Amino acid sequence: MKLKNILSLIPALSMFFGFAWADTVKVGFNVPLTGFAAADGESALNGAKLAVKQANATGGINGKQIELVIYDDQASPKEAVPIANRLIEKDGVKVAVSGSYSGSTRAAAGVFQAAGIPYISAFAIHPGITQAGKYIFRTSFMGDVQGRAGALLIGQTMQRKRVVVITLKNDFGKSLAAGFKAEAANFGIEIINEYEYSIRDRQFGSIVAKVRADKPDAIYASGYFFTAGPLVNQLRSGGVAVPVIGQEGYDSEQFIKIAGAASEGVIITTSLDRDSNSPETRSFITEYEKLTGNKVDMVAASGHTALNVVVTALRKAGTRNPEAIRNAIAQTQLTAATGHISFNALGEVRKNVQVQIVRNGDWHYHSEIRDQTLLAPPES
Amino acid sequence: MLYLELFLQGLLQGSIYALIAVGLTLVYGLLRILHVAHAGLYTLGGYFGVLVYNSSGSLMLSGVVAMFGVGILGVIIYRLCYEAILDQPPFVPLIASIGLFIAMEELYRILFGSYGISYANPPLQQMLPLGGMYLREGEWVTILVSIILIGGLAWLSSHTRLGLAWRATVTDPQMAESFGIDPIRVRYFNFFIGSALAGTAGMIVGILNNLVEPTMGSVPSYKALAIIVLGGLGSVRGTLVAALALGVVESFGTIYLGNVLNRDAIAFVFLILVLMVRPQGMFRGI
Repeated sequence: MKLKNILSLIPALSMFFGFAWADTVKVGFNVPLTGFAAADGESALNGAKLAVKQANATGGINGKQIELVIYDDQASPKEAVPIANRLIEKDGVKVAVSGSYSGSTRAAAGVFQAAGIPYISAFAIHPGITQAGKYIFRTSFMGDVQGRAGALLIGQTMQRKRVVVITLKNDFGKSLAAGFKAEAANFGIEIINEYEYSIRDRQFGSIVAKVRADKPDAIYASGYFFTAGPLVNQLRSGGVAVPVIGQEGYDSEQFIKIAGAASEGVIITTSLDRDSNSPETRSFITEYEKLTGNKVDMVAASGHTALNVVVTALRKAGTRNPEAIRNAIAQTQLTAATGHISFNALGEVRKNVQVQIVRNGDWHYHSEIRDQTLLAPPES
Repeated sequence: MLYLELFLQGLLQGSIYALIAVGLTLVYGLLRILHVAHAGLYTLGGYFGVLVYNSSGSLMLSGVVAMFGVGILGVIIYRLCYEAILDQPPFVPLIASIGLFIAMEELYRILFGSYGISYANPPLQQMLPLGGMYLREGEWVTILVSIILIGGLAWLSSHTRLGLAWRATVTDPQMAESFGIDPIRVRYFNFFIGSALAGTAGMIVGILNNLVEPTMGSVPSYKALAIIVLGGLGSVRGTLVAALALGVVESFGTIYLGNVLNRDAIAFVFLILVLMVRPQGMFRGI
């Protein structure tokens, strides 16, 4: 009998606390904080926290503070689905952001779409994410788009024609390679060989030996800083001197630390221009370094951008109706740390691709790809 | 020439596998424990190496710390974790070991950060072409260190009283004890040697990759198990052959089968194929 009484108190208590919490506006955030993707997770979370801090300092959402509801998804789809359900049902969030990789983001996107809760992918690039439906958006480039930009960069800007492709065998690397290969011929590129590696590989001795024998003009290699750092280091010390072209996965000071002197001259396509004069980018770079003591990276900038899109939409919508929030996100016109953000009908971002190069141990401006026909994401 | 180079790359990878897997096979041979947390000690070797080198600049000192520090920690893990549950069914220490491994990975992340640590002035990165083979200094050193350490172990086990006591205990613990061999000392020795080898391997891989990450033990944690199964559980000779063979198969597989299977898949296909022909593994006995 006693137990029953206590149990009956639980809904009442939770309602009480529910009201107590209602003073904040909750934004869901799934991010890998443990496991193999914890490094990117930490950056994404810091970027998001900075955006929330800045928004709260400038009045929050119509006077209410924003609360980031954070769950560790270990970059794993099987963690992401229960987290999405929990964010929607238990925490009652009306909008959420993924600071995670493609696998978990894709899995969670289905749940948010079914519940009609807007969900933004900060830096996961798999095409399937936004195809989940109209509540799903992405503030970073799709893999295909960035792969196409890589083809333009190598074939047209750099005039390199014999290319070896080294592909990270996951959603990220595969969609980059698909975009690159689709456009390669249009820029006169001949792909003389393609090698694949898994995300756990750090030893590339046999690939280096084979690439040396292939004698390419350039190497298009996908990866994250923790795979690309060892890869570039081993390519250079293995006597392969041709340009290496990477993507936003390299975009971290960690890449330069790992690859050391070998990182000089490496060129990437990404969404953050560190030499930008835009006040939004400059203030993000200074504030982030002040907050964390780390240098900025693409993932942090993407987390920051996605949260800023949410904040702007919440302020504009002025309500907690998910439909209104979704419509406000869809109409976004925002200059963020990663450039000007607006969405197409599918919820994909439209913006220019930044090309960065390592010079004197730091990332710098190389060029910008503005060809909106080439960069156009799919509309459906 | 390319084939020869791929073969050498395979031996290089294989000798790293060997350093890790020998410790695991020693523990299995003596105690019948699948010591998954061994891979956590390997990671610790990487951290000891990079931390000591970055603060002292001495490769020798960091090597000594990685080897002996990890060796001693291996003994402590045996003392605190396994000793109390030795009389339990084998799955109990296995589960304890998996739990310990996960805890170690997360502890490294909390202590040393999720981004991993790199060498400030990475040593042994210069190319040193010998006989037309393009390997870095660090890679030649790896091959050399593996030969010295494993050769030393072979000498130790066949030419010293300690080695004799160890082999006797593996073959028949009760008989060995009745001849006055202290089984506890043999176990300590066993864990020390195995862990020291893993620590050395961790430091070497940290230098070759110029990156020590909390999760760098995740691949060795299961691949080393595959290797000791392949070598015929508990056989040191078998483990060595299996490790080198696996390295070579992976090296060629990455290039010629890489678009179909990744490196890990190639390794396990190889394991399955060998076990179909020789279910007992490549070798039996010590």
